Amino acid sequence: MWNEVRGLRDGIDCGTPPRDGKPVTLTVDGVEVTVPEGSSVMLAAAEADRAVPKLCATDMLEAFGSCRVCLVEIEGQRGYPASCTTLVAPGMVVRTQSDRLAKLRKGVMELYLSDFPESEIPDGWSEFHRTLEEVGINGHRYGKGRNHFDLPVDDSNPYFLFDPAKCIVCSRCVRACAEVQGTFALTIQGRSFESKVAAGQDEPFMESECVSCGACVQACPSHALVEKSLFPGGYERA
Amino acid sequence: MNDDERPAVAGVVIDLERLITMANQIGDFFAPYPPERAREGLRNHLRTYWDPRMRNALLAHIDAGGDGLDLRVIEAAQLLLDKGADKSGYYGPPQH
Amino acid sequence: MPNPRKPERETITICAYCGVGCGFKAETIGNEIVRMTPWKEGKANHGHSCVKGRFAYDYWCHPDRIKTPMIRDSIDDPWQEVSWDEAFAHAASELKRIQGKYGRSSVGGVSSSRCTNEEIFLTQKFVRAVLGNNNIDNCARICHSPTQFGLSATVGAGAASQHFDSILQADVIMVVGANPTEGHPVFGSMMKRRIRQGAKLIVIDPRRTETVDSPHCRADVHLALRPGTNVAILNSIANVIVRENRHDPEFIKSRCEWQEFEHWAELVGSEEYSPDKIGPIAGVDPEDIRRAARIYSTGPRSTIYYGLGVTEHSQGSTGVMCLGNLGLACGMYGREGVGVNPLRGQGNVQGGSCLGSWPHVFSGYRFVTDDATRESFEAEWGVELDSEPGLRLPNMFDAALTGHFKGMYIMGEDPVQSDPNQNHIIKALRNMECVIIHDLFLNETSKFGHVFLPGSSSLEKDGTFTSAERRLGRVRQVVEPLAGYQDWEVTVKLMNAMGYDCEYAHAGEVLDELARVTPAYSGASFELIDRIGSAQWPVNTAAPHGTEVLHTEQFPRANGLGTFMLTGFVPTRERVSDQYPLLLTTGRILTQYNVGTQTRRTANSEWHPEDVLEMSLGDMQTRGLGVGDSVTITSRFGSTRLKVVESARVNPGVVYTTFHHAESKANAVTSDLSDWATNCPEYKVTAVEVTKVTSPDPRHAESSVTRPAHREREAEEIAVTEKV
Repeated sequence: MWNEVRGLRDGIDCGTPPRDGKPVTLTVDGVEVTVPEGSSVMLAAAEADRAVPKLCATDMLEAFGSCRVCLVEIEGQRGYPASCTTLVAPGMVVRTQSDRLAKLRKGVMELYLSDFPESEIPDGWSEFHRTLEEVGINGHRYGKGRNHFDLPVDDSNPYFLFDPAKCIVCSRCVRACAEVQGTFALTIQGRSFESKVAAGQDEPFMESECVSCGACVQACPSHALVEKSLFPGGYERA
Repeated sequence: MNDDERPAVAGVVIDLERLITMANQIGDFFAPYPPERAREGLRNHLRTYWDPRMRNALLAHIDAGGDGLDLRVIEAAQLLLDKGADKSGYYGPPQH
Repeated sequence: MPNPRKPERETITICAYCGVGCGFKAETIGNEIVRMTPWKEGKANHGHSCVKGRFAYDYWCHPDRIKTPMIRDSIDDPWQEVSWDEAFAHAASELKRIQGKYGRSSVGGVSSSRCTNEEIFLTQKFVRAVLGNNNIDNCARICHSPTQFGLSATVGAGAASQHFDSILQADVIMVVGANPTEGHPVFGSMMKRRIRQGAKLIVIDPRRTETVDSPHCRADVHLALRPGTNVAILNSIANVIVRENRHDPEFIKSRCEWQEFEHWAELVGSEEYSPDKIGPIAGVDPEDIRRAARIYSTGPRSTIYYGLGVTEHSQGSTGVMCLGNLGLACGMYGREGVGVNPLRGQGNVQGGSCLGSWPHVFSGYRFVTDDATRESFEAEWGVELDSEPGLRLPNMFDAALTGHFKGMYIMGEDPVQSDPNQNHIIKALRNMECVIIHDLFLNETSKFGHVFLPGSSSLEKDGTFTSAERRLGRVRQVVEPLAGYQDWEVTVKLMNAMGYDCEYAHAGEVLDELARVTPAYSGASFELIDRIGSAQWPVNTAAPHGTEVLHTEQFPRANGLGTFMLTGFVPTRERVSDQYPLLLTTGRILTQYNVGTQTRRTANSEWHPEDVLEMSLGDMQTRGLGVGDSVTITSRFGSTRLKVVESARVNPGVVYTTFHHAESKANAVTSDLSDWATNCPEYKVTAVEVTKVTSPDPRHAESSVTRPAHREREAEEIAVTEKV
């Protein structure tokens, strides 16, 4: 661990941690780019100015590969690998855009959107909103199905709250609490549709081992974890 | 600014017991050193780090018998009277 | 409504709290700070934060903020609001009057390690050039002054040898008398990352702190020593290293004074410091001492991080020297992943140390007794300067009691709450005629003040901080100062009111002046920092972008070599006795910061609304105490009341509390003993007794001076004859 922290840049999120290592040259959308060995294809694409849309990846945390948004096509490889968990190799040829990829990404985002409060879409400025725009989605084809809109907001902590209705279960908060802070207060509890972020033994944040460092708030892409100070009149669901 | 402007009466500027404790503590630190280095070390420490009024109070107390002070402290403090001994080597932070 | 409001502007600055010096973005809408987010390019924190810097910033606009200067003739009168000019004129005339009546050395000041480098520099300039003496000190006196002394003695520089990132290359991490998980949380997280990668951890601390045992992160060796036995244990570790030939002779021969090493090896290698002898004295298994010694000396890269558990002792400086000696003996200097590093507490206490806020040195650690240095400052400032060392902070209070110290400029400090032997300090302050308080809020000390100058928080001014890793970074103004002036402007106006002409168009000009006179900062400027973000000193022509790791080729001592100091163990004079059979040690908690001036005025108090006393179960049972009982804790010096809780973290015979709340008056109980070299108070060792409170009287602290003198002497006699 060296460049993983020292190579971070403000205003730029290349998706996975920077590495130190021998230079590796590959091609992304026809552009040649050289990155250290151990870097992900996602990072190489970002360096080549061909950034891939993402949700569960952020360069302060190791890759996880859960959201399935950052899919790419790699010459000689079958299927549509996630660029965050795929490491670069010399001479690799990557394509970040194609009709098939666009369709796959739209499909994934529509699913996320179907379980996201509709009223919170306009004027939103979280990373989730930006990714929706990048992928070109502003609606979904699904009717009103099962959702998480009625789960209670946890505002036990004086400084930030957690609204499960906006949580996309990307695990960035869990990983931030583990990798960055080292407290391991958060987990994903349950499976499948029941999966949810839990603090401690599924307690309010304030009663768990959470030390209120804010790493989870910093990592959350959808403002499910968010500072209370950004809601001057108090937090209300629409 | 010279020492004459500051009063040299024992126990006046700072409580005498405290002064004696502090001086003995310094003596305790230098105890493992060979006697000559220990004396020089203590002397230099007082010269560099103690307000002159505190030094003068200590010397006045020694003049009055030095009750409560360890012998090695008395010997070392008396070196302060020898102004010629103002050298730059001593056993604390070095001079650059 | 449902979507959060979006900040309009972001200003990059440094956290106002601890010495890690995390980079933050202050995000604003208009003149309102809506949130603070960690700066990814902050070289200390790399995008991480802790609860204090991230969320507890609201104190800056708390209703308690004083916005108008105030004066009063007597501390029994109510405060009178006045204009700034009136306040300056009054303060100046009082200081002059006092100096005329009691002598030039009857006044002095203490600078604030919560203030910028520029402000600290101006405060010491005020005392030296305007008041004409060297009675200037800073709060490092009560925390890391032994670091200054001990590390300067062994390696020539009283500062961390490494940068924080260096820990990512350590194989062995030894933490002595510090609890990074709570005291320096962002650094603690880095440390844990490295340990999860496989680095070994040795902890020397009386308590089983979070640092010793937390998820996926457990110490390989924990020496839970008795408070007061640091030097014994460290010498015993050295004993094993020397006897088992685990030191590094090549390094010592090429980089250190070999003869001094031999003297030292003879001292620590003696039977007196063998683990079998020292283990029982310190309450530690001798085998654990051997394991710690072997792990540390094997490395290959071993680093030491230490805190106030080393310095706040009567052998504080000696303890620091022990650490320096160990580092040198094992060759752990001059590359990544090694070194000896103090975890300095305050955001700018390193700056305070560097910039001469001491009674015996000018900025750059050069002695006031040295003629050449003094003459260079006289030329720069245009006045004659005092050639004798001045009074240290505790000695200022001592001198006040004897009527020789009558005026004081206290900037951003609350000695009544933070300094030991509180009753002594209160009496001293009452004896003074002009106490000038320059602070954000009224506090325990301002009760004894005659002039109150409203201060500005770090969000309201421009300047620089020097963090614990020697990193010089920019504090940038985010909002307008509530009282109208940045702190450095107030100090300049006070100097002007005293008749000394100086002016600066902006804080950057102060940095330029201090860079001219401080060799390690000679290359520093606002322009440089704006360009490269931050720089660790020394930043000069040889290292224009700063220096990450020190001592790579030479040690900054006269002959370029490191040396070994003879560190004999001298047990503290503070002994347990029948009357006071327990040892009290103190510490900090994550959510509150020091005396709580800032954090108690934020929601952080939800976590830690009061200080409690931690005690082991056995000790509670023998005293008939239950969890949550109100108890009186008494020492030779005073007493106070706290709530007691059971804790498995402390060994029998040891009790522990924090000092964040004024009501707890923890420092009414702590002793008046201090480090032999620097007078750093021995906060960490006080003999006490704890008894249940049966009467429902309101909380108060008693002074021991109300006890008859013969009872006092009785207690002393018993204490002296008891062994540790």
